[in-house]
Amino acid sequence: MKTAQVMMATGANAAALAVKSARVDVVPGYPITPQTSIMEAVAAMVENGELHARFIPVEGEHSVLAAAVAASAAGARVFTATSANGLLYMHEVLHMASGGRLPVVLCNVNRGIFAPWTLWADHQDSFSQRDTGWIQYHCSSNQEVFNTILQAFRVAEQINIPIMVNFDGFAISHCLMPLTVPAQEDIDRFLPPHQPEWRLDPNHPSSFSNVTMASEYAPFRQMLSDDIMAAIPLVKQAAQEYKDCTGMWDGDSIETYRLDDAEVVAFAVNSMAAELKLSVDILREQGIKAGLLRPRLYVPFPTEDIIQALPENAQVMVLDRNYNFGHPGGILAAELKSVLFGRRNDVIVKNRVMGIGGIDLTRRFMAEQILEMMDDKKGLL
Amino acid sequence: MLELRINGFGGQGSVTLAHLLAQAALENGEHGQALPFFGVERRGAPVRAAVRMSPTTIHAHSQCELPNFVVVMSEKLVQAAVNEGICETGTVIINAPQALAVNNYPTWQVDAETIAREADLFSADGPNINIPLFGAVCRVLNIPQNIMEQTLMNKWPGANGRRNLGAAGKAYNTVAQIGV
Repeated sequence: MKTAQVMMATGANAAALAVKSARVDVVPGYPITPQTSIMEAVAAMVENGELHARFIPVEGEHSVLAAAVAASAAGARVFTATSANGLLYMHEVLHMASGGRLPVVLCNVNRGIFAPWTLWADHQDSFSQRDTGWIQYHCSSNQEVFNTILQAFRVAEQINIPIMVNFDGFAISHCLMPLTVPAQEDIDRFLPPHQPEWRLDPNHPSSFSNVTMASEYAPFRQMLSDDIMAAIPLVKQAAQEYKDCTGMWDGDSIETYRLDDAEVVAFAVNSMAAELKLSVDILREQGIKAGLLRPRLYVPFPTEDIIQALPENAQVMVLDRNYNFGHPGGILAAELKSVLFGRRNDVIVKNRVMGIGGIDLTRRFMAEQILEMMDDKKGLL
Repeated sequence: MLELRINGFGGQGSVTLAHLLAQAALENGEHGQALPFFGVERRGAPVRAAVRMSPTTIHAHSQCELPNFVVVMSEKLVQAAVNEGICETGTVIINAPQALAVNNYPTWQVDAETIAREADLFSADGPNINIPLFGAVCRVLNIPQNIMEQTLMNKWPGANGRRNLGAAGKAYNTVAQIGV
């Protein structure tokens, strides 16, 4: 390992620095708060020659992802970023990227969804894109944003599936923290140049994403589903090899904290999951055997790792920063219950929705919520 | 982990002050965090920013609800800032032209506006009170003066940047604990 550089960076800058470290070729962009800081930083790097990439300002998010799809089909390493309604506007093209098996990496800076307008974080935007065929990471620190973008490019290019790297608007994107940027040599060792097996090439014309009969379409869709499931070992391998190359570790498909002997397990994603480590410490000081299980992956859902990691007879407190409309509670709880059913009947799942539209989630507040949930006899079982 | 909240008015440079303090923590060999609260930005509206310093990795990502230190950019905000929350053993640092004590809390005072005016540090919004306040807060937090100066020079290098050092240094050496 060469000498790494330590600097202060916001989450948005951490993302932009990862784009530079990944030697990205093409970045189409359109501004939306709180993502805009990423595009500003990337555009500046392209302008001043630090990043040898083509920056394409486009007229809206639908076109941003269309440009990303085209550039990726031409064999480029492609990055873009968006938030909330920008992501929703991309929805149709998200399917095109995954169905077209194009390894685009997209940062979604989590923000609550219009209407009414809000600028601050919740997780309705990324979770509502679950069924688009994208792999989804959720990050809980600035450093993890940087690390995950590099891991995402590697995994995406191994299996030709686009990856969304999510992190909270403002709480991460505008939070200034120390960031370790490994030596470029170590990053290059981890992330080799993108060498697609196939690309659009005017000198060798071919058709792409034509109309298919069901007999062709169905196997394509099955393959996409199978390959997304097969991403978990690659995600773990990427995390391990990233650690070997840089010394840094944020967990693989999941991250755990004080979990081994835990009787009460907090279950959440993104920045609130980092703060929850402090809530766990508060509860431990009160004599409660608390722990944390944070899925880094949302798609594919890390079922086997969760089932293995949860201590026996645990009460799992799912803290959802989103709504599962039509059901009481949130989306993470529904996902968790569906994978535990019939396999871990010893575990009790309780759920609360909180932090919507960026409501501040402090360590004390979440510790109190968990305490209340322990006493909650009916809960949302 | 040390937690600090800045209460100010939009345009007074609270975000830059938060960034400087987090950067100073790093220069001082610690972890630093600046987490300004971005609302619907308006000049003159009350704003706040969270700052944390710790020898180990900082996991908190919320605003500081019960900080160890509250920095009040304007004496008009003293009561509002204290009401917003401060830990029982907390300390208040106020920019005010005269000594001003806050009941029940150790209070430090610095006349950042006069210091900024005398050093001819101005922006479109008026005197850059955040530069002397940075010096004053570093003194209260026992961050060495050379670390404070190094942080400023790294952010604004060159002769122009050097103009900050006089103002920040004056505040560093004149910020005073009220009633002590």
